[in-house]
Amino acid sequence: MKRLNRYLIIWWKLTLGTTQIAFQSRFGAVLFLLGKLLRYVFFLLFLVLLVNRAKVIAGYTFWEIVLFYATFNFLDTLPQFFFRNVYRFRQQILNGYFDNLLLKPLPSLFHPLFGGSDMLDLFVLILSAGFIIFAGWHSDHVTVLRVLLYILLLMNGFIISLGFHIFVLGTGILSTAVDNTVMLYRDLTQMGRLPIEVYQEPLRGLITFVIPVGIMMTYPGRALLGLLSWQGVVIALVFGVGLLFISLRFWSYALRHYTSASN
Amino acid sequence: MVIQINHLTKFYQVHQKEPGFAGSMKSLFHRTYYDAKAVNDISFEIDEGELVGFIGPNGAGKTTTLKCLTGLLYPTSGQVSVLGYTPFQRKHEYLKQISLVMGQKNQLWWDLPAIDSFLLNKEIYEIPADQYNKTVAELSELLDVEDILQVQVRKLSLGQRMKCELIAALIHTPKILFLDEPTIGLDVVMQQKLRDFVKAYNENFNATVILTSHYMKDVEELCRRVIIIDHGKILYDGKLANIVKKYAKNKSITVIFEKPVTREKLKQLGEVASFDPLKAVVIVPRDKSNYVASKLLEQFPVEDLNIEEPNIEEIIRDVFANQASSV
Amino acid sequence: MKLYLQVAKNTWDEMMSYRFNFAMWRLRNVLQLLTVYYLWLAVTPQNGHIFGYSRSLILTYVLGASLIGSIVFSTRTQEMGDNINNGELSQFLIRPFGYLGYWFARDIGDKLFNVSFALAELTIIYFILRPSIFLQPNIFAVLLTIGAICIAVVMNFFLGSLLGMIAFWSPEVWAPRFIFFTLVSFFAGGLFPLDILPVPMQRVFAFLPFGYLQYFPLQIYLGKLSSNGLIQGFCIALVWCLLLYFLVTWVWRKGLRVYSSEGN
Repeated sequence: MKRLNRYLIIWWKLTLGTTQIAFQSRFGAVLFLLGKLLRYVFFLLFLVLLVNRAKVIAGYTFWEIVLFYATFNFLDTLPQFFFRNVYRFRQQILNGYFDNLLLKPLPSLFHPLFGGSDMLDLFVLILSAGFIIFAGWHSDHVTVLRVLLYILLLMNGFIISLGFHIFVLGTGILSTAVDNTVMLYRDLTQMGRLPIEVYQEPLRGLITFVIPVGIMMTYPGRALLGLLSWQGVVIALVFGVGLLFISLRFWSYALRHYTSASN
Repeated sequence: MVIQINHLTKFYQVHQKEPGFAGSMKSLFHRTYYDAKAVNDISFEIDEGELVGFIGPNGAGKTTTLKCLTGLLYPTSGQVSVLGYTPFQRKHEYLKQISLVMGQKNQLWWDLPAIDSFLLNKEIYEIPADQYNKTVAELSELLDVEDILQVQVRKLSLGQRMKCELIAALIHTPKILFLDEPTIGLDVVMQQKLRDFVKAYNENFNATVILTSHYMKDVEELCRRVIIIDHGKILYDGKLANIVKKYAKNKSITVIFEKPVTREKLKQLGEVASFDPLKAVVIVPRDKSNYVASKLLEQFPVEDLNIEEPNIEEIIRDVFANQASSV
Repeated sequence: MKLYLQVAKNTWDEMMSYRFNFAMWRLRNVLQLLTVYYLWLAVTPQNGHIFGYSRSLILTYVLGASLIGSIVFSTRTQEMGDNINNGELSQFLIRPFGYLGYWFARDIGDKLFNVSFALAELTIIYFILRPSIFLQPNIFAVLLTIGAICIAVVMNFFLGSLLGMIAFWSPEVWAPRFIFFTLVSFFAGGLFPLDILPVPMQRVFAFLPFGYLQYFPLQIYLGKLSSNGLIQGFCIALVWCLLLYFLVTWVWRKGLRVYSSEGN
């Protein structure tokens, strides 16, 4: 407990520092925020246009599609808030800053994952949480149990995201290819903007079970709408925890092969 | 004995690429690697409070050794034990007792004042408030940076930044201080200040200090014991003073003449390293130095004469040259 | 000329030296394509139309947009901004060749690289997914499409250069480019053909440069434009090119003045 408290204090100090620094280049920060908001709004408009004409996409009605998109939104923004630092990792490896991090009495993943949160991202996060509630409100067949399942699977989605990011960091140590790997993760998860029923086999199977985008993004919505069996829930949780476990092993492996920047 | 290294070996795999277009297409599918032997079976022990210098040319394995000692690198084989811990396991209790300062690499937040980085380290190292305040006050007074702690690090001069980096690295008063090329890029005054500081830290806290450097002055002033490394192997481990006795075969005599002299006449007494009608440097075997000196005074119009030990740098260069030629 | 060829070749070599990075980025391109492809496959009825596009037409559109995108959007102009910011521009200014010409040559190297792999990937995807493709029989239309693509390449280069030259006045080089990417990803036609937008919006976008980067060439290829539409489109596109050219040279001159007055 005391240890957790210590980590929280350190995380808070790091976040304050990062936010202060981001504030120093406010213009850029605001533009990025604007860009992110525009991206979400434009795609929503596109969805509206589309469903208006097509009436049904892969068996889902308008509000159900919006719910899936809102879920994606949240699970896209949440990791971006917590794991911002992953996008800086390559730089930190190249300029040797990671050496400094490894020397500190902290878990080796602490700073690379959590060390760069910017409080400005909270703004988008809160908006997207509100968006979920808005979409859920318009959905049918919602019960308390299903809401709880939804939240559980959201958390599971976050765990999957955590596993992915750890994997990305490990790749960064082995080959400094972090940028492309993390953008690959983003592209994969973008496929979750729509329910994965849109995709045909074998692609659908691939992005549900091999690279669990479907489990991450679509399962929560399905649970809320009462379309997910209990076996599905169990599979989802097994995947989440399993992926996290494997990614942690990968990280240990990567550390053993760390070669450190030369002077 | 705080540091013990046994048969430490660290190899890297380096990729060989053939030049040109064909080479790059080939490397897409099949890569050849060779083993770069950064550290190749080295062993030594260091006691508490020692101040040891690692000397060697670039790529000798000094930095790699330091990084193995601090847990950054995973040894290919061999045992490393520091303060009873295995560094690579990165136990928090171990990391709280050591510090590694790398010449040009910064740990301070660039866009914030140095004090913010200190406060962060206070939390990370779990330093009690009163100890923290005391340490910061002492160190900043010693290094004369009290006024600039609230200034953005990016706005500080290189010297000021270096001092703040040092404080950040010592805020937890580590028992072992590793310094990797600490004086690189600093002006002469700063270099001296740093040396004085390191010496004071070693004496006041009985801290063990290991440093690597290119500058012989660092090593001469600070270290009684040196370890010479080249191509990943230890060439020498012992007192600095003994290197001179062991490897320096000659002494150099610098002479200044009242009237111009000829090179030929000088050559009879010994090897002429540099010549100028009014000033010359002659190299002679150690045991003959006094004899030659007296001959010089006899035979030449000498205004001033000086017998010198060769530069430690030259001695070491010779050691490497011998090593290279015997390989 | 030889110099520019060498520059293009060097860019190619650079890109090849990062094997893993390169595989990742190609994979990303394929994924982005598949996402859009399946989306349209899901909403377009098997034998019907949506927004006036049959399955065959819309899938041709999607694949075509991907190919055109790889030609038009691959660029190195983002490095221009870094160049200016870290002062490396000075080294270039003393060399005996045109700065913009240099960057265009780099772009070409980048594009050649991109296109070769895009073509390979599209071929593989075609043989796996077997969509029914619309092949334009009219050679003249194909030639016009190629012409429109060339205009798009030049346009994107100018736009990218303008974004890069922001660096003369501000260290923020990525944020404006990010906004630009966001706008392009929706309104150049890569995600959807612009004619699904409400007509008033379409009229506005006809006068903006975005649509001419991907949508316009595709419309020519798919035969969706009347001769009036063709003429109007080409005129507007060319006007934009000219405008952007003058803008770029003017901003370049102004920027250089600022750059040298800062003691670079």
